[in-house]
Amino acid sequence: MSMAEDKKETEKIGRCAMCADMCKYSCPTYLAAGRETLSPQKMARLILYDEKGLLEDKKDFLDLMFQSAMCGACSRHCIYDDYDLRKFIHRARVKAFESGVIPEDVRKRVETFRRFGNPNGERKLIARGAGDTGYFISCSSYKDEDLLKATEKMLSKSGLAIRRFGGGDMCCGAPLYYAGDMKGFRQASLKMKAEIEKKRLRRVVIDCPTCVKTMTEMYREIGVELDVEITHSVQFIEGLLKQWKLRFRRNRRVVTLHDPCILSYDLALSSAPREIIATLGFNLKEPVYTKEHTHCCGGAYGAKIGDHRLKDAVTSMRLNELKQTGADIYVTACPTCKAVLSEINMKYITELVAEKIVAKR
Amino acid sequence: MKVRTYMSQGGILPRGFIERVRRIVGDDHFSQREGDLISYSLDYWLYGVFLSQKGDLPALPSAVISPASAAQIQEIVRCAGEYRVPITPFGGGSGVLGGAIPLNGSVVLNLQRMSRFLNLDEASLVAEFEAGIMGANLELELTRRGYSAGNIPQSLYCSTLGGWISTRAAGQFSTKYGKIEDMVLGMEVVLPDGNLLNIKPVPRRSVGPSLRDLFLGGEGTLGIVTRASISIHPLPGLTVKQSFIFPSIEVAVDVVRQVLRAEARPAVVRIFDEAESGRYFPGIGRKVVTIFISEGETEYTTLDARVIRRISRENGGKSSGEGPVDIWLKKRFDIGLGPVLMQYGGIVDTIEVSALFKDAAKLYRDMVAAMKAVEGTLEVSGHYSHFYREGACLYITFAGIPKDPLRYYQDTWDAAMKATLQNNGSISHHHGIGFWRIQYLEQELGTSGVRLMKSIKDALDPQGILNRGKLVDGGR
Repeated sequence: MSMAEDKKETEKIGRCAMCADMCKYSCPTYLAAGRETLSPQKMARLILYDEKGLLEDKKDFLDLMFQSAMCGACSRHCIYDDYDLRKFIHRARVKAFESGVIPEDVRKRVETFRRFGNPNGERKLIARGAGDTGYFISCSSYKDEDLLKATEKMLSKSGLAIRRFGGGDMCCGAPLYYAGDMKGFRQASLKMKAEIEKKRLRRVVIDCPTCVKTMTEMYREIGVELDVEITHSVQFIEGLLKQWKLRFRRNRRVVTLHDPCILSYDLALSSAPREIIATLGFNLKEPVYTKEHTHCCGGAYGAKIGDHRLKDAVTSMRLNELKQTGADIYVTACPTCKAVLSEINMKYITELVAEKIVAKR
Repeated sequence: MKVRTYMSQGGILPRGFIERVRRIVGDDHFSQREGDLISYSLDYWLYGVFLSQKGDLPALPSAVISPASAAQIQEIVRCAGEYRVPITPFGGGSGVLGGAIPLNGSVVLNLQRMSRFLNLDEASLVAEFEAGIMGANLELELTRRGYSAGNIPQSLYCSTLGGWISTRAAGQFSTKYGKIEDMVLGMEVVLPDGNLLNIKPVPRRSVGPSLRDLFLGGEGTLGIVTRASISIHPLPGLTVKQSFIFPSIEVAVDVVRQVLRAEARPAVVRIFDEAESGRYFPGIGRKVVTIFISEGETEYTTLDARVIRRISRENGGKSSGEGPVDIWLKKRFDIGLGPVLMQYGGIVDTIEVSALFKDAAKLYRDMVAAMKAVEGTLEVSGHYSHFYREGACLYITFAGIPKDPLRYYQDTWDAAMKATLQNNGSISHHHGIGFWRIQYLEQELGTSGVRLMKSIKDALDPQGILNRGKLVDGGR
């Protein structure tokens, strides 16, 4: 980064540090912990003070940097268009990683990744099918048989030749990015690029919003460009339903959708899952905090939030918000959200679709 | 710590106090970590914010305590009384007069864990919340159920219900729905002796002086509000947006006076002076623009809008359509310029005062002239933001790039307060006193008024435990 760019970046964080914290009402970690220190503006002030050498307790500061959900609620509701606090938090995480001061949960996750190439610590190779459309099975979905079966059914009805890959033998690298391990992240991104090129894919469907963001925006940050169209499964399904022109009779069952944070904030895909639910004839009941006001589920600790107690508090808050709708079915469009919110029998959206579609066609 | 404090230092807490409080709230919710102490050192007092960019903070708390219930707060307050540890309550930290700065070695009592929506009584149009709920979330909880509290301050996204009550806050829709004191029916308060006071949510009663009013504007000096029941409204069936250009501030103010006298009750009325119109509505430029939003039941709202339109036209108002209202609705929470200016050495602040209609226009002229005369001033602009049958709130924004920031800040405030008092105005409409405005309080209330307030404080909080150095409790 040039000096001029650096000055501009410092001005951005300084501006945030003097704002009135107009986004904090949306910040899930701030709300779940009830702790001003985790509010975006206070995080910015601490980052600014750290850069100015005004902090004495380095460990306290770095621990705080690992307590962000990195969900993007603050960025979505920021009064400045050219600013995303997550970049600065991430920069602090990179420094923490480089100096070896990272939370224990995060360290374990990175070590597992180094050994297995994914954050789950096991290898289960998936490489099936042929064709230039790929279905990347993310580390957060490859063990979820209900999700996989449902998605497979959807894909098989699409009429396209689809190559399945991923599933534990490779990962987009997001856990390394969030841990601040940029060297590891770069290696993961290059491995992914090579795999996609080797398979000669032109389009990749992914069920995980974080993978989609990572393989587009975050790869671009480090200069890795995938020459492939990346599509989240809700976009893919919405397209299929439109193509098939299917309409289902309205039924009485009440569905509540949990908007995954990255899908809503970064990918701006709030309407697609609603269209799908409406097409299926379900009665959609929104929670209070929904669409642009959704809250992160807490995610997988060790990746985004480095403190498992805070992660549990965020999850508990989100569960309570969702339970208030009293829905018959809870559905989401992120495998991590599905796993984290399993207490309310959360389903992935393909599970909702598959049965009806398959029966109808 | 390497950060510098310029008003007071954090104190050393008695070991017994720390042990007791840790037992009450749990170890996780008692903190003396550097990040927490810095984060609770300052609210949104803008001169303090200006200084904070270089690591200068007014005061650091001795600790941050985050209770989860009124019962825990009762125990903490009793323990603080026993050990004589001062407590500063902290809600959203959005106050602009330094009311939440932890002076004199106070511990911060953080209310942000108490943020639940508790109850909705649709028949009575009353909703109950814990005091730490953020304004925006309070509104989300209500609007998803078909209601609104109608209190939409610029700080909606960073202030709490408890903070609104403690400062007698006002929202942008106040001309119809009132200020927070018009909305609060009942509340639960932890008193300085640790006892709990429950004020029943009833529309009116005759049981002596209103105890509720001790805490509306009490700024956490007389008790800690832990929950409140507020009046709510069904979401409007119709919204009508209108705007007019008037030849002068004087004409615009008189039009609004006539509108309210005619019993119209628009929710939003704002008169922007030439400078603010120029900033908000570049398509119109430097003219006096007035916007109105009427909302509610369709028939009444249609009539309301019609009365506004007739009176505006009769007084030479030129309609500028819905456009300016939409622009204002879009920009009304954008405070982005202030921090940018502060980065370049600018001092920025806002001052809100109130006056009767007979004085309202002259107050604007005098206040702006006096503030512009202060050396270093870059811009002074104003708008009227809240109206009553009897008068209005005038909201002035000022900015300067002075050689001596503190001198400039002090002189500008002095000029504004002097002009207000000379025009029979009140020194604060809805921001409160905090610590910064204490210096003008006696001119507002008179010696007897201040003495009475101090007597009330002494009677309720003889040890001065709650929010020391604020409202009536000593100077800077």
